[in-house]
Amino acid sequence: MARTLSLRMRIGLAIVLAMLVVLGGRLFHIQGLDPAGHAQDAVSNRLHTVELPAARGNILDSQNRLMASSADHYDIVADPRLIGEYTVADEALGLQRPVTIEQTAQELATILDREYSEVLEALTAEEIHYSVIARSVTPEVHQQVMALRAPGVYSEPVSERTYPAGSVAGSVVGFVGSDGPLEGIERAQDEALTGEPGERIYEVGADGVRIPTATYEETPAQDGQDVRLTIDQDLQWFAQEAIAAKANEYNAQWGNATVVDLREGSEGEILTMADSETVDPADPAATDELFRRPLALTQSFEPGSTGKSVTFAAALEEGVVSPEDQFTVPFRLTVDGETFRNARSHADYQMTAAGIYARSYNTGTILIGNQLDDQTRYDYLRKVGYDAPIDIGLGIDGESYVRPPEEWDRRQPMTTQFGQGYEGTVMHNVQLYQMLATDGVKHPLRIVDATIDPDGTEHPVASEPEQVFSPETSEEMLKLMEGVVEYGSAQGAQIEGYRVGGKTGTAEAASQTGGFDGYTINFVGVAPLDDPQFLVSVTVHRPAGQFGDWDLTDTFNDIMTHTLTSYDAAPSEEESEAYDGFVGERQDYPW
Amino acid sequence: MSVLPAEELRTADRTEGQGSQRGRAKAQPALQALPTVRRRQRGLIAGVLLLLLSALGAVLAVNIHVANSQYQVVQLTNQHRDLVHQNQALAQQVQFLESPQSLSNSAVTVGMVMPATAGTFDLHSREIVSSAEEASNSQVPSNFVGAPGYSQPETAAADVAEQAEAAPSGVLGAGALHTLTETPAGENGAGSQETVTRAGSALNGGTIPAPDVTE
Repeated sequence: MARTLSLRMRIGLAIVLAMLVVLGGRLFHIQGLDPAGHAQDAVSNRLHTVELPAARGNILDSQNRLMASSADHYDIVADPRLIGEYTVADEALGLQRPVTIEQTAQELATILDREYSEVLEALTAEEIHYSVIARSVTPEVHQQVMALRAPGVYSEPVSERTYPAGSVAGSVVGFVGSDGPLEGIERAQDEALTGEPGERIYEVGADGVRIPTATYEETPAQDGQDVRLTIDQDLQWFAQEAIAAKANEYNAQWGNATVVDLREGSEGEILTMADSETVDPADPAATDELFRRPLALTQSFEPGSTGKSVTFAAALEEGVVSPEDQFTVPFRLTVDGETFRNARSHADYQMTAAGIYARSYNTGTILIGNQLDDQTRYDYLRKVGYDAPIDIGLGIDGESYVRPPEEWDRRQPMTTQFGQGYEGTVMHNVQLYQMLATDGVKHPLRIVDATIDPDGTEHPVASEPEQVFSPETSEEMLKLMEGVVEYGSAQGAQIEGYRVGGKTGTAEAASQTGGFDGYTINFVGVAPLDDPQFLVSVTVHRPAGQFGDWDLTDTFNDIMTHTLTSYDAAPSEEESEAYDGFVGERQDYPW
Repeated sequence: MSVLPAEELRTADRTEGQGSQRGRAKAQPALQALPTVRRRQRGLIAGVLLLLLSALGAVLAVNIHVANSQYQVVQLTNQHRDLVHQNQALAQQVQFLESPQSLSNSAVTVGMVMPATAGTFDLHSREIVSSAEEASNSQVPSNFVGAPGYSQPETAAADVAEQAEAAPSGVLGAGALHTLTETPAGENGAGSQETVTRAGSALNGGTIPAPDVTE
């Protein structure tokens, strides 16, 4: 009995063992050798890869206030292959209730505020496994969508830009479209702002929950750098209000107010680049195309009398004139058969060079400028930055054109002396006065202060200063500019307690159809003159009304006063150093 | 399976051994020593089994714990994400309210006007450099620059307000929301001290309330 049992048992055991070997072999075949790739398929089916988006860097103003930031938003996407009828537990009925595709589409359409037909189309598209239902929805909306638990409906985290300051410096900050950055710093500094996206790989079970002990890999995202601008948000707002009020008063096409820092160590930093109307980066389409980019770079015009400073500075630098040299200044002057006039009729005046500058007489300027040859004056125009594009770090070239002397017509040798016959942008104009105010050293204008790594390391943007005029020329020019404000064409620019200097300019605006229609008026001023700290430029294009109706000094005065008080600039201690305008005792000759 | 349990096999062996002892005592003397060995083995087997069982039990317990913790981690991660979003939405609201044009609008609503020229003294010469002027009632700041637009106003603003209403006192409390939406009347000197201490006890010195894990 025991023998037969043992024999049977042995046979049985042998069979079981044989079967186990066969099964083991098969298991090894399938799982280990995996000739049909089933095991790999199963793993890849369970593997879920999620891209970890890198946070786009913030854009900050000079005081580290946020101008552009990113918030977590979600794209709602569908995999139409997985979309189908599904059931949800209905608490009221205590049953599993079926939900059709149409019902899912209806619910999604309500939550996402989209057309039902569009949603249904996205859900039922054939032969694709990725269709976007909605882009960039808020976390709240995303939660509602996920609460539906509809199979095949996924979400992908995306970064959405927010612009807390709205249209304050909107054209500088720029904006981002659905395909990437379109304008401003967002575009120019895109490389720094964008980081490296990371990746998370893990296995999920059939119910969509992560399998705890299975594969888990994570490559963290490298966040983008922050970009700090030289813009002062509060001052920018103030200037935008001021220039908008001015453009509105004169019913002008556009206006611009720019403030530049001249303080030691931050010379050439643009504190404000305010346009009369500015784009809100959150809704660029709402603003006229003209105002979506900074006008100070996109609009070129004849500088007019502000351009006389190049002629005077060149003459002083070359030593052909000194501020107190005397000239007989007529109302009308004919040179080489071409006649030039001043703005208003007057008798012949015995004036100093300083007086000619202060009263901005064209005829007097020609008397001074003609002491230099055409080529020298042209070279100086190029030296101060005209005839070359200007880029302040926004990736936009401000254009300027000056024809070389051999291409000049009969009037241009004279007109270029008082800022006509060539074009430049507000930035060209501002750059000229910046170098005149800072000992003749050109500090390239810039708007990006530094890029900041996520760990806080700062990379300041370097600039290369260049000596253009001698410090003596610069000093004399500031005295000439003081005369303009003290007794010349811009007496409204005076600020109590501070020595202020500046220069007015008016030029005819070239029309689209050839010839001229309208004017461009501008004023550039510097204060305090004993130690120049700030430069304010105000420009208004095509104001309504007649020549002589306009005055920009009040807007300059508002912005400069606000800047001086905001930055605690000490009042001037020295007395005015302006030269007399007329020869002799009498200084109050009629205009 | 057709295999007999080990215990039965052993007893069968033993009875067989005892029966043949009388007849063939000399033929199989070595069998005498076996029962003692088996008794020792029994203890060993039981010990090993117990060890195995307890190890299995321990592994099971650890596994269950890990799995449960995983779910808890997922839950806490979701809660963390929600709080981050809530924080983001609130931060955004603060940033919008901090923008110069919003501040200007708030200032106008509480009756503030633009400052007039400030007076300056020269402390060395004891002279008045420039005299101050009185601010005029008509000097209201202009309003050319539009207020910043929320990207999605109705969802972002409304939802946070609801959340904040329900939140405990402190930074997220209804009082804080009030100061955010209703411009303070300038009497925050006395009240602020109290708010700080209250927030301190509820938030353990931090600014974000501890996550609620009871759900």
